[in-house]
Amino acid sequence: MSEMKDPRQIFGEALVEVGEKYSNLIAISADSSSGSGMTPFREKFPRRHLEFGIMEQGVIGFASGLATTGKMPFVVAIAPFVTSRPFEMFRNDLGYMKQNVKVVGRCAGISYSDLGPTHQSLEDVAIIRTIPGVTVLNPGDPVEIKRVVHAAAALNGPCYIKLGKEKMPVLYEDDYPFELGKGVLVRDGKEVTIIATGSVFPRAHAATEILVKDGVDVRLIDIHTLKPFDREVVIKAAEQTGRIVTVEEHYLAGGLGSLVAETLARAKKSAGIEMIGIDDQFASNGPYEELLGLYGLLPDQIVKTVKEFITEKVPS
Amino acid sequence: MLTPQEETRLKQIAVKVRQNVIRQIKAGRMGHIGGALSIADIVTALYFKIMRIDPKNPHWDRRDRFVLSAGHKCLALYAVLAERGFFDKTVLDTYGSLGSKLPGHPDMHKLPGVESNTGALGHGLSIAGGMALGLRMDGIDSKVYVIMGDGELAEGSNWEAAAASSHHRLANLLVFVDRNTLQISGRTVDVMSYEPLEQRWRSFGWGTRVIDGHDLGMIVKASSEIPFEEGKPSVVIANTVKSKGISFAEDRVEFHYWKVKEGEIEKAEQELLEAGRRLDL
Repeated sequence: MSEMKDPRQIFGEALVEVGEKYSNLIAISADSSSGSGMTPFREKFPRRHLEFGIMEQGVIGFASGLATTGKMPFVVAIAPFVTSRPFEMFRNDLGYMKQNVKVVGRCAGISYSDLGPTHQSLEDVAIIRTIPGVTVLNPGDPVEIKRVVHAAAALNGPCYIKLGKEKMPVLYEDDYPFELGKGVLVRDGKEVTIIATGSVFPRAHAATEILVKDGVDVRLIDIHTLKPFDREVVIKAAEQTGRIVTVEEHYLAGGLGSLVAETLARAKKSAGIEMIGIDDQFASNGPYEELLGLYGLLPDQIVKTVKEFITEKVPS
Repeated sequence: MLTPQEETRLKQIAVKVRQNVIRQIKAGRMGHIGGALSIADIVTALYFKIMRIDPKNPHWDRRDRFVLSAGHKCLALYAVLAERGFFDKTVLDTYGSLGSKLPGHPDMHKLPGVESNTGALGHGLSIAGGMALGLRMDGIDSKVYVIMGDGELAEGSNWEAAAASSHHRLANLLVFVDRNTLQISGRTVDVMSYEPLEQRWRSFGWGTRVIDGHDLGMIVKASSEIPFEEGKPSVVIANTVKSKGISFAEDRVEFHYWKVKEGEIEKAEQELLEAGRRLDL
């Protein structure tokens, strides 16, 4: 059994690491500091931690203005309140102004399962990826969270980092191959490709292990960067396996499944695509595992979907 | 604060700035003229008397910043930047053309001297507040100046920024509210009331003054005396006249966005020429 780690705590550790490396880095809280794992940063760099209260539109503009003076703000809060609520500020003040601001949406997807749709974030990738020049990152492993935070800090430009809430297993070694904008080929295979992203990557990983044990030759790809998107790895998967199953804790509209379909359509490649995620509905509320189960995101359900899919006829 | 000679000089420049505004309209045949002309005197005072800037070094880290929150008034910004020498005046003749460096709302990546991409209302004050905070963190004594429209004040995000600016004690921040009293649908206070305006700002923790926004002496005096109250951001409520300086357009809502009719440009040019002559320009 892999060790389980809290993504917010890992993010907080990573923020201290990049804070040590970049003296211009400042942390911005919208009444969201301790809940985002930023307490260690605040304690270590009290003068570089700014509080704005529950001011989720204005805080993006302030971050933009700070960035014009050479600062690198990390704005961290609950995902919908830094994406859909201040979308126009994100678009204009960060995207259009090309400012070096990192927005981190935590407790994304349906991980605030009990709190209901107001606090869930199932459209963040869809809307933020329409903003030109914004890098969209969605790590699926504690080690990957750290790599993503370091990569975002090294990049001069606006980024969105999406984080879950539930503890995640450590699946990667510290030196695993990470490259911004490139998918990670976790397992090669010829029969079907599972492409997963973010918080549900571990479940896709567990499903892959079961499928392999059951004799299905699965290729597993972890997509930590949704923009710029690794088209090559998708096209190769389509050509070599013919079938792709996408797994994401996001609306099917505009997320990873859409990206894969868009990529193949634009490359004039055909493949069978099965998308696992949340379709056109506000998600329900309740315990997280049970909620994931409603949308087919548990490992056994992913296994079943894949097994059924590989018996279907797909375009060649 | 201003000697009579200085005041005359600034008045002459304000005429040139208005002429630059008309020059752009002449090129593009339409544009947001009303608000551009109501702030022409304020931007003239800022760029020719108040602000610490170097047109040859627009990214100088010790410069004062100017954020035009009401981005649609950008014809005045372009006009004053050209007059101050940030770019060649012939650029003004490209207004309205494909890919012009002078979009209908300013783009900092297209034109030297533009500090932020405003236009969607209710963004500028937050951006300016971030600038003021960042400069203070670096120990730089630069100031940040903002012009907001009075109609713009209906955007709630402004009041987030107003609260945060006083909370963070941004004494290096000065806002002008261009109270020209008109917006597209009519009188601002009829469309969405903001009165009592000065009390609103005071209750948000700002130092306030109310002036005639066309009186260059008063603009300079107020700008030179910030912070109005120790440790607080400052706001000047500038009473202005929409389309100030063009008699047939003054205080008329139709000239919020001017679609030029036959003969109007020539008439405007003539009026400004005469205004200049009266100042021995």
